[in-house]
Amino acid sequence: MDSLVYLLGGFATALEPMNLVFAAIGVLLGTAVGVLPGIGPALTVALLLPVTFKLDPGGSLIMFAGIYYGGMYGGSTTAILLNTPGESASVVTALEGNQMARRGRGGPALATAAIGSFVAALIATLGLAFLAPLLVKVAVKFGPWDYFGLMLIAFVTVSATFGSSPLRGLTSLAIGLWLGLIGIDQLTGQTRLAFGVPNLFDGIEVTTLAVGLFAIGEALHVVSRHLRTSEKPIAIKGSIWMSREDWSRSWKPWIRGTALGFPIGALPAGGAEIPTFLSYTMERKLSKKPEEFGTGAIEGVAGPEAANNASAAGTLVPLLTLGLPTSATAAVMLAGFQQYNLQPGPLLFVQYPALVWGLVASLFIANVMLLVLNLPLVGLWVRLLKIPVPWLYAGILVFASMGTIAANPSVVELLLLLGFGFLGFLMRRYDYPIAPVVVGLILGPLADSALRRSLQMSLGDPMILLQHPGSAIMIGIATLALVAPFLFRGLAKFRQDED
Amino acid sequence: MIQPATTGFHRPTLIIGVALFAIAAITFNDARNMNIRASYGMGADAASYFVAAFLAILGVGHLFAAFRPGIEAEQAAWKAFSWVVLGLFGLVGAIWLGAGFILASTLLFVFTARAFGRRALIKDAAIGAVLAIGIFLLFNKILTLALPMGPFERLF
Amino acid sequence: MTFFANRLVAACLATFVAIGPAAAQDLEVSILAPAGAGGGWDSAARSLQQVMMSTGNARSVQVVNVPGAGGTVGLAQFVQSAEGSPNQMLVGGITMVGAIITNGAPYDLTNVTPIARLTGDPLVIAVPASSPYQTMADLMAGIEGNVERTIWAGGSAGGADHILAALVTQAAGQDPAKVNYVAYSGGGEALAAMLGGQVTAGISGYGEWQGQIESGDLRALAISYPEPIEGIDAQPLKAQGYDIELVNWRGIFAGPGISDEDKAVLEEAVSNTVQSAEWQELIAARGWSDYYAGSEEFTDFIASEAERVHEVLSSIGLAN
Repeated sequence: MDSLVYLLGGFATALEPMNLVFAAIGVLLGTAVGVLPGIGPALTVALLLPVTFKLDPGGSLIMFAGIYYGGMYGGSTTAILLNTPGESASVVTALEGNQMARRGRGGPALATAAIGSFVAALIATLGLAFLAPLLVKVAVKFGPWDYFGLMLIAFVTVSATFGSSPLRGLTSLAIGLWLGLIGIDQLTGQTRLAFGVPNLFDGIEVTTLAVGLFAIGEALHVVSRHLRTSEKPIAIKGSIWMSREDWSRSWKPWIRGTALGFPIGALPAGGAEIPTFLSYTMERKLSKKPEEFGTGAIEGVAGPEAANNASAAGTLVPLLTLGLPTSATAAVMLAGFQQYNLQPGPLLFVQYPALVWGLVASLFIANVMLLVLNLPLVGLWVRLLKIPVPWLYAGILVFASMGTIAANPSVVELLLLLGFGFLGFLMRRYDYPIAPVVVGLILGPLADSALRRSLQMSLGDPMILLQHPGSAIMIGIATLALVAPFLFRGLAKFRQDED
Repeated sequence: MIQPATTGFHRPTLIIGVALFAIAAITFNDARNMNIRASYGMGADAASYFVAAFLAILGVGHLFAAFRPGIEAEQAAWKAFSWVVLGLFGLVGAIWLGAGFILASTLLFVFTARAFGRRALIKDAAIGAVLAIGIFLLFNKILTLALPMGPFERLF
Repeated sequence: MTFFANRLVAACLATFVAIGPAAAQDLEVSILAPAGAGGGWDSAARSLQQVMMSTGNARSVQVVNVPGAGGTVGLAQFVQSAEGSPNQMLVGGITMVGAIITNGAPYDLTNVTPIARLTGDPLVIAVPASSPYQTMADLMAGIEGNVERTIWAGGSAGGADHILAALVTQAAGQDPAKVNYVAYSGGGEALAAMLGGQVTAGISGYGEWQGQIESGDLRALAISYPEPIEGIDAQPLKAQGYDIELVNWRGIFAGPGISDEDKAVLEEAVSNTVQSAEWQELIAARGWSDYYAGSEEFTDFIASEAERVHEVLSSIGLAN
């Protein structure tokens, strides 16, 4: 009950005209910068941090909330329209979203992403307001063995992004895992596959890989077929709004995506990518039209986008209650708090209730503003596809390389970007799926360090993975998911034989 | 989709298979030469061995697949393709030589537009330059993030 | 209201300093932060940028980010590009000293010209609230009794946290190579492992865990600073009878082969900046401690740090 009173007080703070203006500026800036590929919410917030220096803590944090959520929204726009995910959590969105956009359904794809993000953020922010203390107790109990179990489940579900051939899908995944090895191992300091190049010591940047494979690979692929097929994406076919069918196919994925994204986002090492993978798999399995997956199924946009945004609110749970920055964005947010000598942590809710609840309330407001801003923009964004093809792809390449140049202006990084571009081109040409590479790069190092931390704590005894109920159950689920299809097939064959 | 190849042998698949073996060998060799050992549990080399083995198995899979009819990649417009590649290397080269962000990006824009069949060089260059200058001003002035400087950047 | 009073003082100081030497006023410098935007060295560079400009010690300051390999990528680029340059500076710190050694970097900090040491933060040794260890002596006895079961959580391998864990293990009479140190990507993830009770003890920058220490979720046993710090209850290791000190310092450097006059100009601009009320206010807000030392003292300090860090890293098998 106390929470509710505080929350209402928070709304009173956030609804002050000046604070509304700050929220609006934040939302606009966040969307504008977040739309640029390769510039995810973390860099957006880091870059815009100085802008907030001059404001009072309340106003600045409110603007922050706007930038944060705005950056999250922006990332999906380019993923859908241009097959150029701006950040790793939008990779899955690009799978179905871009297929929809190519078929003239970019409007509904953007709309379901925007409304899904709104619904997810709304529910997740409610969760943040009322469940945070409870959730965080569970989250810190999550040991490395539990993370390893979660990674195994994620690995098994990745097969949903494989496309037609398991051999080619697994090869893509293996390339991602291989890229994930590169760099200094965090646990021991051992260098792997860096060949003495210092720029490789920190490993392959996920955004560089994603932008290279998707944006540059796509441009190379299109140009190689341009004169022959002269295919042009269809900007609009039918209504740019969601049809009744779109709505009825979207609302359940929104809820399910939120249910996956929020708790996993709240885990100290959960992140935003894993829930998007899991959501995609889940929607594919549950969809009434699974055959549409791969050619633009709206569920495949609605679910992952909701999961992505819910996990963003989930990240705030450990940040506000423990002072635990669990993502790059949260780390930058922490710096934002610290510039006012506020230490997020167990005492923040007690010491500065007005500020914290003002922030939570402004998250709600930023969310509403984003919806109001983005829905009318859908029509405008879709027109991007009407830009003549030469300029469109020239622009995509300029923006894609700019993202890398801005984040890390080194020639080596640019050459990596180009290399990944060629890889993406070749993979498209020979029909290898792209997404598993990114998945492998993200999950590989996580699974590696979770397993090794577990074994380090047990002094090398692998039984530790089965001694903890959480990890034992998750490993069980993963094994079942891996074996079940074969079992069913065997069973079906068996029955056939009986007939 | 799948067109039967004229021979019962698919060369790209074979090449990919051999490439996978090569990567596996490099990874295996890299893991063998690691000198920092973990005091407890598993070392950093374990994951390398795992991935090397995985790649090798996939390599075998590709060798088998190579003797089955595969998908023939369509004819590509290599000339247009090279224009984009030239543009991309132009960008890297320009940044490497210190020509700055604006020139590099304009170069990329013009070459890509050329690849897609445009010949209006001046118009494209103007559009590319305006785009690059806009991005540059946004980053350097508003966000105070330094993009590579060159002769044009110093004018602002 | 005190805020406005402070601002007023700062503004007055700024105008006062602005009447200083003409050379400093016209200074246009670029500071290379060898880390990505938002990281520790980046915020140090940007803080310095902000205060140098607002106090009039420089006309314009630009921050350039060159991330990679614990700062050694930025260092290498700086050594090559800033030779003799009067207006380029580099931010660095103890992590860079370690990274140079473990990465076998081609350049080290003797290749650049130390201008000033700026800040130095204490590391804290803490245990979860539920831990049976009440004092540093308890923890030491625990290490002595069973070094492998004493599991540490901290930042990445070979970093300052790891070095401190090795020093403590050594002081407890055990082989530092045997320290069971579980590396995490930063203070945040290590904190989760502490709160979840998965590890015995942990090490982090004091500021990162301050909230949990004050709320009682973590018990701070000691800090690694040489002297007690006002507002921190945990006592230095030295005061508790263990001869260990380790400060997470950050400093600023100029390029190799810079002339004495140019160096003097930079030194003066930095020292004036650091003495300003604005700088003190800003570092307090960020939770940093002032650890200023001039060029000469800083140069000697780096030499002794490099030697010490090398020794510890060799003992844990990360350097030869």
